[in-house]
Amino acid sequence: MEPTLLINTSTLTTLMILITPILLPLLSKKFKNSPTIITHTIKIAFLASLAPMTLFLHSGMESIATYWEWKFIMNFKIPLSLKMDQYSTMFFPIALFVTWSILQFAMWYMASEPHIDKFFFYLLMFLIAMLTLTTANNMFLLFIGWEGVGIMSFLLIGWWQGRAEANTAALQAVLYNRIGDIGLILSMAWLASTMNTWEIQQATSSAQTPTLPLLGLILAATGKSAQFGLHPWLPAAMEGPTPVSALLHSSTMVVAGIFLLIRTHPMLTNNQTALSLCLCLGALSTLFAATCALTQNDIKKIIAFSTSSQLGLMMVAIGLNLPHLAFLHISTHAFFKAMLFLCSGSIIHNLNGEQDIRKMGGLQKLLPTTTSCLTIGNLALMGTPFLAGFYSKDSIIEGLNTSYLNTWALLLTLLATAFTATYSLRMTLLVQTGFTRTATISPTNENNPAIINPITRLALGSILAGLLITSYTTPTKTLPMTMPMSTKTTAIIATALGIALALELMNMTHMLTQPKQNTYLNFSSTLGFFNLLIHRHTPTKLLNSGQKIATHLIDLSWYKKMGPEGLANLQTTATKTTTTIHTGLIKTYLGTFALSILITLSAQTLNN
Amino acid sequence: MSLLHLSFYSAFTLSGLGLAFHRTHLISALLCLESIILSIYVALSIWPIESQTTTPTLMPILILTFSACEAGTGLAILVASTRTHGSDHLHNLNLLQC
Repeated sequence: MEPTLLINTSTLTTLMILITPILLPLLSKKFKNSPTIITHTIKIAFLASLAPMTLFLHSGMESIATYWEWKFIMNFKIPLSLKMDQYSTMFFPIALFVTWSILQFAMWYMASEPHIDKFFFYLLMFLIAMLTLTTANNMFLLFIGWEGVGIMSFLLIGWWQGRAEANTAALQAVLYNRIGDIGLILSMAWLASTMNTWEIQQATSSAQTPTLPLLGLILAATGKSAQFGLHPWLPAAMEGPTPVSALLHSSTMVVAGIFLLIRTHPMLTNNQTALSLCLCLGALSTLFAATCALTQNDIKKIIAFSTSSQLGLMMVAIGLNLPHLAFLHISTHAFFKAMLFLCSGSIIHNLNGEQDIRKMGGLQKLLPTTTSCLTIGNLALMGTPFLAGFYSKDSIIEGLNTSYLNTWALLLTLLATAFTATYSLRMTLLVQTGFTRTATISPTNENNPAIINPITRLALGSILAGLLITSYTTPTKTLPMTMPMSTKTTAIIATALGIALALELMNMTHMLTQPKQNTYLNFSSTLGFFNLLIHRHTPTKLLNSGQKIATHLIDLSWYKKMGPEGLANLQTTATKTTTTIHTGLIKTYLGTFALSILITLSAQTLNN
Repeated sequence: MSLLHLSFYSAFTLSGLGLAFHRTHLISALLCLESIILSIYVALSIWPIESQTTTPTLMPILILTFSACEAGTGLAILVASTRTHGSDHLHNLNLLQC
């Protein structure tokens, strides 16, 4: 049968399967959603999405399907078109696999939650928005998905809405994402006015693109993917439940910004300014996040900063003109990051809510499966050869080393790679090894299939995903194959240095050396002073100037000076002047007499 | 303008300003009025000399007549206001004041 038809039909089938739990309760009263139903739906959708992926891998067939056209105005049509290319056909099964595992885990994690149906519903809505974003062929549909994931992120981060920190974190996420949305709307407006289209094919077909829309896209990616400058919301988003962190803030939502840049990559290719900006921004983000992760004590925050650092690495890959490597890193990163979050969720629940790694230790014997998978995940994150992270991370660093770029970005990324190894190893050692520092009675029981199955499934994915993806997909650009030995082993050496650094740091814990306050420690633990400086200063300034402009300047000037009151003031002044003339006293008349004389004389003089 | 013209222009202006800005007594206003008329008389006398025609020579005589009548009228008003208000202060003439 024709591959195009098969791909389109199977993708549509997958999407329809996902929409089913939303539609059916509306259609019949007897149908009630439950977590089990939603989990099974995701599992079936995953199996269905394997079909287009297999078709793509077998035949290399990509297709665009247009289902409806919204005739907006005469010359500007917005079709509802879905693009099934390499990126979306590969992303579907990966996202659905990860989501399936997370939902299965969430059935155990959120078991004591009274509104668990609503929670699963929100997660499903989020997934649909994310997949819309992924398969969108035009910016309008992408924007719908973009906003959808932003809203669901807000609702899910603030899930425990009685908690003030959760509300603050959700608000922070929305505000930072909104600043990025300005960039997206800027590029959409530019595209609509200059190229009269929102289709990505048409926008990416021209050879040279001016820098302005690209800056908008980069701003959008900075906001959504937590690059440096708009990054504080990602660590704060750890206030949400662990399944939310695993799904949104590790695998799917935060890669939306990078995905946008991958989609619109041909626009970026020839614009060296935009590429350099991506490169430097990514390098800065990855190093900054890795530095902040070194001194974090909350296990979820460490993993959050690790996510932020890997997102910076993806941005670096885009800045190197290697979007397929960025996508490869998205795919492999989804597996091990989601698994790290699920392991941390299992640890947190089993220690009855303890999230501080200084109060964990020796869990290797108490939670063997979880900690083994934690180790696998950390090794994959560090880029251990032939695990999942190796294929993408090593390729990116090789690409960095063999391309013509500024050394500063290269140095930052290598330093960040070393730091990645450091904080991962620190987390592993503090959580799993050593003497137990937890409370004496902890109900550690991981014998639940709802915990074990997802985590081991994702562990399998972390080990095999890199190999499978690189074996079956052909890269769009040939990777450099020849390079000196030192260049080839740079990533491994950096990682080894990081491990050595971590082992040295561990000595401090075992020998009880008190860390003195110094600048670097302060810098790292206060997240680079960014939150402290910006979070009070900027909103105060903005709101103050807003009040000045809106209330004082506009209201006062329009209503007091120029409007009714100003008119009244003018009239009053004029009236006061003429009242003295109207008193009827002789001196007024004599004054007019003098005035007339003076005017006549001056007129005569001027005429002569 | 020549010195001659300057003299009666300035006399006229100063007298006019004096008429307008003397605020207390009516008689000072009348005096300024007289000096206005005097400067006009001098100007009108100079005019036929400058234009070398003899026709306007009549004008100063007419002005003199009118000024005499006018001075008489002014003095009559002064005497009338003194008889009613007891002095010739200008602020007594305030029937029109609201």
